Amino acid sequence: MRSPLAALSADDRALLRKRLRTPVLTFLALLALLAVNVTLGATLPFAEVWIVELLVVAVMVMLILLVSMEVIHEPPLIRLFSGLGFFWVAIMVGMTLTDYLAR
Amino acid sequence: MSESLADGVGVARAGHFETVAQQRAAATLGIWAWLITELLLFSALFLVALITRIQHPEATVAAARHLKFWIGATNTVVLICSSLTMSMAIEFSRMGWQRAMVRAMLATAALGGLFLVLKGYEYYADWAEHMMPFLSQRPFALAETPAARLFVNLYYVATLLHALHLFTGIGLLLGMTWMAAKAGFLSRHQNWIEVYGLYWHFIDLVWILAFPILYVVNR
Repeated sequence: MRSPLAALSADDRALLRKRLRTPVLTFLALLALLAVNVTLGATLPFAEVWIVELLVVAVMVMLILLVSMEVIHEPPLIRLFSGLGFFWVAIMVGMTLTDYLAR
Repeated sequence: MSESLADGVGVARAGHFETVAQQRAAATLGIWAWLITELLLFSALFLVALITRIQHPEATVAAARHLKFWIGATNTVVLICSSLTMSMAIEFSRMGWQRAMVRAMLATAALGGLFLVLKGYEYYADWAEHMMPFLSQRPFALAETPAARLFVNLYYVATLLHALHLFTGIGLLLGMTWMAAKAGFLSRHQNWIEVYGLYWHFIDLVWILAFPILYVVNR
């Protein structure tokens, strides 16, 4: 079966590469970060491994938020809105866990 | 909204907006307002899961050992793939490549369907292992550790709620694909694909949080 890419002109192929570069790189980065977390979860190399796992998750969330959801390119009002949502979550999680972990 | 649009691709301005740019920004702001409420909902559930882990570590670890770690990991890969196909659909819509966009949207829906099939199998395996404490006719495998019931019930609430969002998302995506395949769609409603894409990426983001918090850190 003939590849659909073969029907594209050189210009179209260049445009395709340019437009899909960021989504593909994001995809590869997310898979790599997931591989780190799955390896850590399956092997449990040290007691405080959960700290590393949660840091890896934070990087994955930031990647999806800023790149996949394109917050980084949005107008300031939308950036503020999306940032505030995560800020409220940070307050809720931070204050609650501070209470439980400090008991 | 950051990338330039091909000729013939755009948004038909509704009368109550002054400009198309204003209309696009309003649509994006609207979906974000809703996504933030969803974020707060799921965050509260995940926070309770972390508190359960802190308060009842042995019971939570015992319950989490019954979770199907590798199915959860596979499902994470499936959703990351679906995020890629959704991003491709958005880029194709901006380029005006309607057929490629429709195929990418169908691939996204298929990957969402695969996630639900794997999740359904996981629930079936849980049922077979007597890991459904809410079934009164079926004894719970960890009945001797009552706190495990808390974690397992929370696991079902969080994952079923996520699955419901995904199921709804697939339905909406298929409906939008049907509309997007029609001639002239991209010249009038291109931003619908971008707005819907935010929802799909958000579903992915929620699972990216759910997998480590429920499956990984409790091992």
